[in-house]
Amino acid sequence: MDFITSFDISSSGLSAQRKKMDVIVSNLANASTIQTPEGGPYKRKVVVLAAEPVNGKFGNALKDALSQVKVQEIFEDGEGLKKVHDPTHPNADDQGFVTYPNVNVMTEMADMITVNRAYEACVTALDATKNMALKALDIGK
Amino acid sequence: MNKITTGSEASRLSPQTIKPVGTDPGKPQGAFGDVLKQAVTEINQLQNSADKAITGVQLGQSGSIHEAMIALEKADISFRAMMQVRNKILDAYQEIMRMQV
Repeated sequence: MDFITSFDISSSGLSAQRKKMDVIVSNLANASTIQTPEGGPYKRKVVVLAAEPVNGKFGNALKDALSQVKVQEIFEDGEGLKKVHDPTHPNADDQGFVTYPNVNVMTEMADMITVNRAYEACVTALDATKNMALKALDIGK
Repeated sequence: MNKITTGSEASRLSPQTIKPVGTDPGKPQGAFGDVLKQAVTEINQLQNSADKAITGVQLGQSGSIHEAMIALEKADISFRAMMQVRNKILDAYQEIMRMQV
């Protein structure tokens, strides 16, 4: 059934936005984490999204016209770690500096709002698709 | 899912399955019956996958809420479509039964 292609594309968008949300939450939760299993402070994670061709019938007909979204990778942003002079801190280095994560809470909050809105947009598109399918079933009633 | 749809499409269109209706009275299983059966099987599969998705979410094993909801919607719409087909068949049957002989 053709509406299933739209459902699948919406679904991929919803999944991608959920993953982004997970990463943002992780960044916010670790906004002042100075110890990680790999050593050093927490480094801000960034999601990279990539387009992927849809395998549906309609996608075949139009070749590369349709694409869904997938999470390509999640990379660590190592730039801009904050150094604070605090010699009494147990994690202070030789010069008495403690390295804090490069997470900017404002940026993360703005990203979170964007992700929320994008998720809502996907749900709205999904609802519209569903309504179209239901309207089509009303033909001849 | 897409594979199943394309499969049924192909079989619907292939010359082997399109048998001339009414020329073989000995066989009650015509092309229409096959198509109907295939459609019902497909819808049943959608229902099963919706069941599985919602069970996974409820037990907290796997899957996300939106995936379960989308599986439910797919099952819902395909079931409604099947109901419309059933209504049309019944209408046609009743129309024939009302025919004056």
